[in-house]
Amino acid sequence: MKDEEVKKVVRKNYGDIALKNSPCCGPQPVNPSNMNSCCGAPPSADDMSKKMGYSEEELAKIPEGANLGLGCGNPVALASLKEGDTYLDLGSGAGIDCFLAADRVGKSGKVIGVDMTPEMIDRARENVKKAGLENIEFRLGEIEHLPVADNSVDVITSNCVINLSPDKGAVFREAFRVLKPGGKLMISDIVLLKQLPEAVLKSAEAYVGCVSGAMLKDEYLDVVKESGFTDIEIVGETSSGNVWLNDPLAESIIKTIGISMEEAKELGKSIVSIKFSAVKPKI
Amino acid sequence: MEIIAAVDRMKRNLMEIICCPTCKGDLALSVRKEEANEIVQGSLTCGKCHVDYPIEEGIPNLLPKEKK
Repeated sequence: MKDEEVKKVVRKNYGDIALKNSPCCGPQPVNPSNMNSCCGAPPSADDMSKKMGYSEEELAKIPEGANLGLGCGNPVALASLKEGDTYLDLGSGAGIDCFLAADRVGKSGKVIGVDMTPEMIDRARENVKKAGLENIEFRLGEIEHLPVADNSVDVITSNCVINLSPDKGAVFREAFRVLKPGGKLMISDIVLLKQLPEAVLKSAEAYVGCVSGAMLKDEYLDVVKESGFTDIEIVGETSSGNVWLNDPLAESIIKTIGISMEEAKELGKSIVSIKFSAVKPKI
Repeated sequence: MEIIAAVDRMKRNLMEIICCPTCKGDLALSVRKEEANEIVQGSLTCGKCHVDYPIEEGIPNLLPKEKK
C-alpha cells in the first residue's frame, strides 16, 4: 500500500471505531457476537485499561467516552509529568491519556492531543466539554507533520499509534523538533522480532490491527536514535503471542491471508509490545 | 470585556505553541464565532504557505495541505 492509502485505511477504521463506541484496535469483526471484544481482552474498555496498568482512581478521572480501550497502555509515562508541564500525545484518540495528563500538569500546564481521525477528535472535544477542562486542546493533524511549535513540549507520549504510520522516521524527527531540550519521549508501540510474511504485510486489515505496519524492533530503535534522541531505554517488553489469536481481528487476518493456525501462532511470537523512553539532549 | 478576555486566553492557549504543519511558520488567527472560552469558527493562516487551516466546531484542522 502507498503511504496515502495507508493513512486513508487507518483513518477510516479508527473513525468507525470512534463512532461505534466499541473497544477495538482494528476493523470491526464480521461476527456480531464478537462485536465488543478485541485484542484478546474482555468487553469493557475499563477492564481492558486496568489490564494495561491504569488504576481505578485514574480511570475515574476520565470523562465517560474518552476511554475506548484501544492501545497497548502506557500509564507509567504520565507519572513523570510535573505541574506546569506542556504535554503532547501523538494519536490521542478519544483522549484517555490527555485527560489523565491534564490532571497532572494542572491549570498552569497544557495538554495537546493530535489525531488525524476527525471522529476521534470530535469525541475528544465532547469529552473536554463534559470534563470542563481548559488546559487541554485537540488538534486534527498528522503526527508526521505536527502542528506544534519547535522546542515547546516537556513530555510526549504515544500509545500504540506510531506503528500505524507509514513514515516512522518523520514521526520521531517531528517529536524531536517539538520537544524542549531535555524533554522526554515515552512511547508504547508494537514492534516485530522478525519479519512478517509477505501476505501479512500486504493485508490492509493487518495494518490497522497494528501488525503489518510494525517495524523490526532494532530498526525501529535505530530510527529513534537517528532522529537525535539519546538515553533510549526500554522499560517494558511484552509478547503479544497467543493473545493476538483471541482477537477476532486475527481471525479475519488469518482468513484473508490464508495461513494455518500453526503459522498464525508462529506469527504471534514475533509481535511484541514495547515501552521505551528517550530524551532530547540539552545540547 | 469578558469576551475580550476569553479571546485573549484562547488566542494565547491556541497560538502559543501552534505552527503550520508544513513549513512550521507562525499562523495568524481570525475568529468568526466564539462561545464561552472557545473559538468555535475561524481560521489559522500561514503567511509563508498562504494556506488557511479552518477551525470548525472548535477544532483546528491542521492536516497538511498543498501550497496554494
